[in-house]
Amino acid sequence: MAEGFDIDHLAKLARLSLTAEEKALYSSQLNQILGHFQALADADLPATIDDARVVNEDALRSDEPGLVLGAEAVTRIAPASRDGQISVPRVVDDES
Amino acid sequence: MSNVPSDWEVVIGLEVHVQLHTRAKVFASSPWGFGKAPNEQVDPVVLGLPGTLPVVNREAVEKSILFGLVVGSSVPEHCSWDRKNYFYPDNPKNYQLTQKDFPVVVGGQVEIELPGASRNVMGEHKFIRIHHAHLEEDVGKLSHAGSGSLVDYNRAGVPLLEIVTEPDLRSSAEAEAFLRSLVAMLTQAGVADCDMEKGQLRCDCNVSIRRRGADKLGTRTETKNLNSISSVRDTVIYETARQIRELEAGHSITQETRGWNAELGRGYVLRDKEDAHDYRYFPDPDIPTLKISRETVARLAKLVPENLYDRQRRYVEKLGLPYTAASVLVNDRALAEWFELAVAAHPTNPSGIANLVANDLLRDLAASAGAAGSFDEAVPAPVSLSSCPIKPAQLAGLVKLTDEAVISKQQAKEVFAEMFKTGQDAAAIVDAKGLRQNSDTGELEKIVQEVIADPAVAKSIAEYRAGNEKAINALKGPIMKCTQGKANPVLIDQLLRKFLG
Repeated sequence: MAEGFDIDHLAKLARLSLTAEEKALYSSQLNQILGHFQALADADLPATIDDARVVNEDALRSDEPGLVLGAEAVTRIAPASRDGQISVPRVVDDES
Repeated sequence: MSNVPSDWEVVIGLEVHVQLHTRAKVFASSPWGFGKAPNEQVDPVVLGLPGTLPVVNREAVEKSILFGLVVGSSVPEHCSWDRKNYFYPDNPKNYQLTQKDFPVVVGGQVEIELPGASRNVMGEHKFIRIHHAHLEEDVGKLSHAGSGSLVDYNRAGVPLLEIVTEPDLRSSAEAEAFLRSLVAMLTQAGVADCDMEKGQLRCDCNVSIRRRGADKLGTRTETKNLNSISSVRDTVIYETARQIRELEAGHSITQETRGWNAELGRGYVLRDKEDAHDYRYFPDPDIPTLKISRETVARLAKLVPENLYDRQRRYVEKLGLPYTAASVLVNDRALAEWFELAVAAHPTNPSGIANLVANDLLRDLAASAGAAGSFDEAVPAPVSLSSCPIKPAQLAGLVKLTDEAVISKQQAKEVFAEMFKTGQDAAAIVDAKGLRQNSDTGELEKIVQEVIADPAVAKSIAEYRAGNEKAINALKGPIMKCTQGKANPVLIDQLLRKFLG
């Protein structure tokens, strides 16, 4: 099947830096995966919601607050932190 | 707005993000609340750590369905959640759980009221259609410090209902009225608190313009993250003027995401996160599709409060309230219900009760509480009635005493102040202060006869007898003076007419 994607664009969205060999390999593998999904999409099935994946409201959680990790534990698993917050490279959202 | 040239029409659609009133987060059991130290309200599910699975909070779902019922949407049989994938530090899992294909609220409408020609005149009413509302998780909060940014995930995972309107709004005034109405509905149903200062309500504002009469919509811009009604109003005015300027100069409008600088009162183009629009949505494999039972819908339907404009119409049409008092009462459900309890205790004069509630009671409650923050600077936050020293039946008692002319309206103000201070019944205060008006006919008759016999009032009597109705009032002052102001004015009037007629 024709490629329904742009491997460079996908790599960029996934923040992956790929070599030419990897691009070729992953393109072919992704095509196989998409092929499987296309086969599923082509299957003649009733257009209803899959009951096997439907739960009723018993599967919901009650609104009871539980335990938290604490800022110390949260920041410990981050590469960098400061004053109880996770430190990241500057991201700018404000007026520039 | 009035500054839009008449050959242009502005078209506005809003996306309103509301934090739902729950104790735990939407897919995790972590508590949430305002003012906690950074990252103290985070658990492994919020962070999406390996081995964790999200489970949807029932209360968040029910609050969402309740909102749907409030705006008259048909509650769907199923709803489901999807992953919206993007890399940005406010998002701990690299995807946000949201609802793309099967949201919990589909359709509905919100009635709005535009400002009238003056404060005591009701403005035009319109219905704004709701396209849908979906239940998603809020994201973390970023702050920028020097060369880096800091991330606090306390807000991540807070239940957020995103309410999306159809492009039905046609002016900044309509956008303002819509948000007022929506906030009233959300708070009166207990769906959300909508506290702007705590960031509980944020708005994205889509604006486009077109030649009046054109069918096709113009290219729109989206101004994100507006956190007050005034910012939405100012953004609409600013964007409308900017787009008209661009088009009239022969340029075209770029579809773009914008920010709003409330301090400087101007918008700006947001530096787009690269390819941010390509969210690669797919159904979340961790959360099964939810079937919403009709039993739940029926149970929640009982919690839908009377719509505020239905209530307003009832107050004006059935209870005969002036619009001004009715519009104040209906904005605050607890106040309106308090008022109705008072009316139940003294059903013959709803207007008298409404005036005391909307003016005196509200003023004194606000003064004793100190107003809390609200999304809307122009409308005071609801007052707390739980600490109100006066009970509805007591206020009814005061109005009854006035209606029966036991005390004058002027004295009622004095008694009201005393009731607010002490919580005593009106009758007890009236007796303790000796305010009860004299209704002893025999005694009053004597005083009235003495006063009309005084040559000083002969001229007024002659005028009254000659047909000048108002001249009778000149006789009431001296009578009041003789009784130290305690004479029943209704009785005085009757007696004067009897003796002069």
